[in-house]
Amino acid sequence: MNTLLFDNIDEPGLATLEVYARRGGYEALKEALKTTPEEVLSELNASNLRGRGGAGFQMGKKASFLPKGAMDKYLCANADESEPGTFKDRELMQKNPHGLVEGIVIGAYAAGANKAFIYIRGEYALPAQILEAAIAEAEAAGYLGERILGSDLSLSLVLHRGAGAYICGEETALLDSLEGKRGNPRLKPPFPAVQGLYQGPTLINNVETLMTVPHVMRLGGAEYAKIGTESSTGTKVVSVSGNVQRPGNYEIELGTPSREIIFDLAGGPPEGREVKFWFPGGSSAPVLLPEDLGLPYDFDSMAKAGSMLGSGAIIVVDDSHSVVEVALKTAKFYRHESCGKCTPCREGTNWTVKMLERIDNGEATPMDLDIMAGVQTNIIGNCLCVLGDAMAMPIGSMIEKFREEFEAHIERRRDERGQVPSDDVIAIGVADEQASPYPALALSY
Amino acid sequence: MPRPEQRYITFSIDGREVSAPEGIMLVDGAKYGDVEIPVFCYEPKLGAPVGACRMCLVEIEGIPKLQTACSTPVKDGMVVHTQTERVRGAQQGIVEFLLVNHPLDCPVCDKGGECPLQDITFGWGAGKSRFIEPKRHFKKPLELSPLIAIDRERCIVCYRCVRFSQEVSEDYQLVLLERGAHTYVGTFDGHPYVAPFSGNIIGLCPVGALTSTPYRFRARPWDVEEAGTVCTLCPAQCNITFTVRDDRVLRVGARDNDQVDDGWLCDKGRFGYQHVHADERILEPLVRDGDELRPVSWERALDAAAALGKHKGRVGAVVGGQATNEEGFLLQRLLREGLSSEHIDCRAGGPPVPVGLARALADPALAATVPDLEYAHTVLVLDTELVDDAPILDLRVRKGVRRRGVRLITATSRPSSLDPNAQVALRFAPGGGGAFLQALDAALGGAGDPDELASAAGAAADDVRAAAELLRSVGEDVVIVWGERLARSGPDALRALLNVAGRLGLGGTAGAGLLEVPAGTNGRGLREAGCLPGVGPGYTHATMGLNTTGIARAAARGEQVTALYLLHTDPLRSSEHGAVWRAALGKAALVVAHASVLTEGIREYADVVFPAEAYAEKDGTLVHPDGRVQRVRQAIGRTGEVRAGWQVLADVARRVGLDLEVFTAPMATRQLFDAVPFYAGLTLDALAGHGVRWPESVAAAAFAPGEGGPFTLRTPAAAPSSNGALRLGRYRSIWAAPEVEVSPALKFLAARQVAEVSPADAERLGLGHGQRIRVGSNGSRIDAEVHIRGDAPPGTVFLQEGTAAGGANALDGPLVELEPR
Amino acid sequence: MSTTDSEHALSDRVTRYQHGSRVPGWDDAVDLDRDPATIPDLATTTVPERLRSNVEAAMAKYPDRRSAVIPALHAAQEEHGWCSPLALDQVAAVMKLTPGYLSAIATFYDMFSTVPVGRHTVFVCTNISCSLCGADELYAAMLEAAGDDADFNVRSFECLGACDIAPMASVNGDYVGPLTVDDTREIVAACREGREVLPAKSLRDRTSTDPNAAPKGHADTAGLQPEGDRPGPPAAIELTQDDESPS
Ligand SMILES: Cc1cc2nc3c(=O)[nH]c(=O)nc-3n(C[C@H](O)[C@H](O)[C@H](O)COP(=O)(O)O)c2cc1C
Ligand code: SF4
Ligand code: FES
Repeated sequence: MNTLLFDNIDEPGLATLEVYARRGGYEALKEALKTTPEEVLSELNASNLRGRGGAGFQMGKKASFLPKGAMDKYLCANADESEPGTFKDRELMQKNPHGLVEGIVIGAYAAGANKAFIYIRGEYALPAQILEAAIAEAEAAGYLGERILGSDLSLSLVLHRGAGAYICGEETALLDSLEGKRGNPRLKPPFPAVQGLYQGPTLINNVETLMTVPHVMRLGGAEYAKIGTESSTGTKVVSVSGNVQRPGNYEIELGTPSREIIFDLAGGPPEGREVKFWFPGGSSAPVLLPEDLGLPYDFDSMAKAGSMLGSGAIIVVDDSHSVVEVALKTAKFYRHESCGKCTPCREGTNWTVKMLERIDNGEATPMDLDIMAGVQTNIIGNCLCVLGDAMAMPIGSMIEKFREEFEAHIERRRDERGQVPSDDVIAIGVADEQASPYPALALSY
Repeated sequence: MPRPEQRYITFSIDGREVSAPEGIMLVDGAKYGDVEIPVFCYEPKLGAPVGACRMCLVEIEGIPKLQTACSTPVKDGMVVHTQTERVRGAQQGIVEFLLVNHPLDCPVCDKGGECPLQDITFGWGAGKSRFIEPKRHFKKPLELSPLIAIDRERCIVCYRCVRFSQEVSEDYQLVLLERGAHTYVGTFDGHPYVAPFSGNIIGLCPVGALTSTPYRFRARPWDVEEAGTVCTLCPAQCNITFTVRDDRVLRVGARDNDQVDDGWLCDKGRFGYQHVHADERILEPLVRDGDELRPVSWERALDAAAALGKHKGRVGAVVGGQATNEEGFLLQRLLREGLSSEHIDCRAGGPPVPVGLARALADPALAATVPDLEYAHTVLVLDTELVDDAPILDLRVRKGVRRRGVRLITATSRPSSLDPNAQVALRFAPGGGGAFLQALDAALGGAGDPDELASAAGAAADDVRAAAELLRSVGEDVVIVWGERLARSGPDALRALLNVAGRLGLGGTAGAGLLEVPAGTNGRGLREAGCLPGVGPGYTHATMGLNTTGIARAAARGEQVTALYLLHTDPLRSSEHGAVWRAALGKAALVVAHASVLTEGIREYADVVFPAEAYAEKDGTLVHPDGRVQRVRQAIGRTGEVRAGWQVLADVARRVGLDLEVFTAPMATRQLFDAVPFYAGLTLDALAGHGVRWPESVAAAAFAPGEGGPFTLRTPAAAPSSNGALRLGRYRSIWAAPEVEVSPALKFLAARQVAEVSPADAERLGLGHGQRIRVGSNGSRIDAEVHIRGDAPPGTVFLQEGTAAGGANALDGPLVELEPR
Repeated sequence: MSTTDSEHALSDRVTRYQHGSRVPGWDDAVDLDRDPATIPDLATTTVPERLRSNVEAAMAKYPDRRSAVIPALHAAQEEHGWCSPLALDQVAAVMKLTPGYLSAIATFYDMFSTVPVGRHTVFVCTNISCSLCGADELYAAMLEAAGDDADFNVRSFECLGACDIAPMASVNGDYVGPLTVDDTREIVAACREGREVLPAKSLRDRTSTDPNAAPKGHADTAGLQPEGDRPGPPAAIELTQDDESPS
């Protein structure tokens, strides 16, 4: 396959302006500046480039939501990359920082932004250092700053390092964090495109999305749209990890069969192991089963299968691991990362972890699985942002798809702890709802 | 700024067509259809909704996900459901989540019976929980401050308290720490949350997590009665309710009036009620017997006061700011009609204000209202520190700047706590307010050279020009909030103010105008009631008499004034020229006082002391700085031997041969309303509730305009140069009040004297932060502790007035010397 | 500071005030003898010159000075080793914010520590991908290797974004992996001796696993380092991969 984002990615010195320019870097910007922002937008729209950060929203459409007119407008590159299993932006930024800078400048031109920020997760010290150097080079060469390349476009770019919080990848939490607040998501509406950073219109895009922009410009939107499937155009860098032989980033054409990615590229599970289940889009995506491996890897197919492409991070779990172990890890992650602002996420993630711990400690009965599933239902759709859903959906899917294993686990652990089998337990806490409205009150409240 | 207009739209809620103002949030819109949507975090007074608790989820047709009604504005044609299975499931789910870690210790919770969490659990919860894990438990309650206890188990992380601290009072002391399920409310490194408005978080907390230490376990909601009145502890005159049990005031709460207080209270107002039942309170009449004041019967005390009759023509009266209009009115009658004396004043100091000028300043056309502060284009805060002088107005100014983009200018001598919110923060030398106004007028195109005038004011000419530019360019709705301190340098400062007002056209613009912050609670009302030398009730002409300082000087000389009548004031504490007052009180043959605690001047010098009513025992009226006549209502029976102020005044008057013809409190009010032309038509009934702004009443037409400008003014004298000594700047802290000192809960805040100096002066004088020093001028000395302040203007030292001892009013200035002790 | 590592041990010691997710701070009252923590005055607060200029430089980068809070706290942590009350007070004085506001931020983000910690930070990723590859044993070994050496701050961390080298750790900011249990001793030794930590396992010079991403062998860049002017050890890739991707 022909690569786009991975073109020359291992080329020595690509991180310098000199080599980047020698490989055609900033040409797309020069061409774009010869056209109008509207024309850039229309190329983006024609390309049907969808966001690579998780939600898969069309970039051109989002950029066109920003109001026109003279005012401070902002562009934020989302380099928080904290979705478990995701590490594509890291490799892209570290090896090709100018690719991001160029994408940002073109994106800013299209959206009319005059101030840009890269919000990079604090743990990425090396990529930050490399980007810092690239920004300085780009400024010195006139690709950033006042009247870029003699055009009307002026753009400042500041690299902002985070300090360790998954939630800051959520676009509005990112804005709060960038404004120096706790990284709590904001209510939407207003959407960032209308009222974002410092109350100004703001375009937020994932690193990979922005780095694709120069390629779209180079190829032309229509040409780009020919790559991939009709509604999932282009290529995507997929991070494959977990129980595979060659974990790493692979640039694929969207629509490539999932099996090809997991087996042909990443080598499949270790010798003698089978795929038990896999997360197709980071740990926030509901898990899929081996029989789903034939699905084309694109936005729609994943959604149709009840999951999502998300950040494009495939985590493979082989048959040597128990689903309870993975569920507990997952839930603990979200409990740790919940910002605590909204009730269902703060309390729901905490409660779910406690229930899973009980299951793992042999203190649960299968009835707890119903409660746990019910709790997930109460979380989904009721939170301020989708972090809560991001736990509830995979956990819900695990309970649904591996209920028998959960039950067996519960019984085995009870047995190990020397507790009576759960069939003999009278569940006081969840006594028949119809029989009396308040049986649980005395015990639980 | 034009205020938003209200248009009505129609939407459907639970199958009913409802019409509601466009743009209001669904939670509020639902009320128009008698539908209640439960909320925890929603509180519009705290700013934009945060959507944190998720209690208010509703279904809106056409939107797949449930929406938070607290953040969704109603739109025409919207179809809303609050009773579907889906909504109820979500509501029950949220209640269940909230109770996961809530201890449900309602029987021992102070919030019980007035707790939104109880109500919502009952109304919208499932009545059961599936949570069987152990709940978390923590030590409780813990102190958050001497006034507030925190119970972290109960907290539902609704964000209300921290939003208040950060977005309303902007003290940024109370924060959320940690994150996720670990999130908790706290402060920096174990520092207490002590700030002027901290108490508001108690009422905001929808659970029993934040409780009032003084109120804890004093009563259950069903044990108490609420009695609405007005707080008399400062000119902001917030509308409050007393929580009363067994004739004792147990608590003060806000009685939300957005025309006055916006529903907030300062901590002095919230906790200062304790002075009503303080041990220090005087509960019986006292008469001097040698060095001592001895309790006596009312008859003896009144007889002793009758000796005033022997000083006809030579009685000087000073009226304290907490006196009601009626008390002031009756006292000036007693003085002018009964004792043939014209020496009455209700100001702390400063030259007399000619009646024409007093009138011009009170002109309804020039009067700004409290909400104008919020909607103005530009607000100029002049010679007042609002958080000390009228705290609630400080919050209003902050709200305007934060939420409505009001441009703010602070022009003061002492650095203002509003400086960080101001576009222009400008300093002038103490007493230089008048000169600054002249410079401002010149910069706006008036007479004089702005640079010279600015230099006379001790202000930077560039700052003055920047202020002028802002006042002129942003919009015509300009409000100038000015402190009474401005008038201390003489009438020309007030004329300069009128010149500026005239030049900016404030008189003709709705939403623009002047708002004075008087030094005393009822400063405005007392002036309107006739408690000024040469000014009778309703700003009528009266024979000229001595002003406060004049009375002091005359009494100290023993000429012209030989007896003193002190109505709710101790001049040693509250008036300028403390040293002269000491001499005056010592020399006067007879000092009659109405007082509730024995402050120094009363204890040492009064001959007759009448026990004064506390505000909870009082009936009468006050006038808010913006002209709102408000009603103070009795909430509890009078304690001990205390009698009503009007009654005592009438009894004294009778003994000197004047029948005031008042036998009830309403009769006194009636007399006042009849005597003041622009109060015509007011009745106590009309005042009930939220009061009436007389400048908006029909009778305001009866107001005869005062002196017309523009005035030609003398060139102001240059500010005193400091040559080694420092200029004396004075201010009065919010905590410098006897009510604070005698309230057990508030005592810890009572103001202590500090000397604020700039780092440069501290270095020059070799003073260290926290060092004890002595500040002196003309033979008077006070003790103080050095506070080095980075933003203090070099060349000036700032000291507090009104402290229990060693107040800056003992010093005359304008220059003082600092010496280490 | 939110930690995950403290949670593991919790179920063992559940005492009166300590069940559930116990957090430091929940049981703390304020000290009523102290003054409220308002904005400290720079005139009476001593701030180290380097910290002050770093914070001021950060503030200058943004339209609103508050945006510089995270960079300022990074600088304070560098200066003091942790976000101590003194450090927060100093930053607060320079930024004209309350130290309370800064604590709200410092306790929100994982990388800030509001308790004293060792100067060598070792964040072991124990999230899903790494733990599927044995991160939990690695973390236990790392804790043991560091022992009670107060110079080490070993924490389990959520996904660090390097699952391609799972199980991995971030040692003083440098990513190394895939790690074996044996590597933990070398990490400790290298930190103590000031050597570079496991250069052969550094992420710095790792080439892509994607077979299509191989360099085209342009002559003009043959001698350059992968990241240009950043000298580093030559790419040493030793992975569970076959030869499709040349190193
Ligand atoms: C909890 C949460 C975490 C997220 N983390 C990231 C992230 O680390 N990087 C990212 O690009 N987008 C992340 N997103 C998605 C962003 O909110 C946003 O949709 C995205 O940055 C938009 O860019 P795109 O349109 O280019 O994908 C996250 C979303 C949620 C709800
Ligand atoms: S203490 Fe009360 S007001 Fe503050 S967050 Fe908790 S529940 Fe809300
Ligand atoms: S009231 Fe709407 S989310 Fe809290």
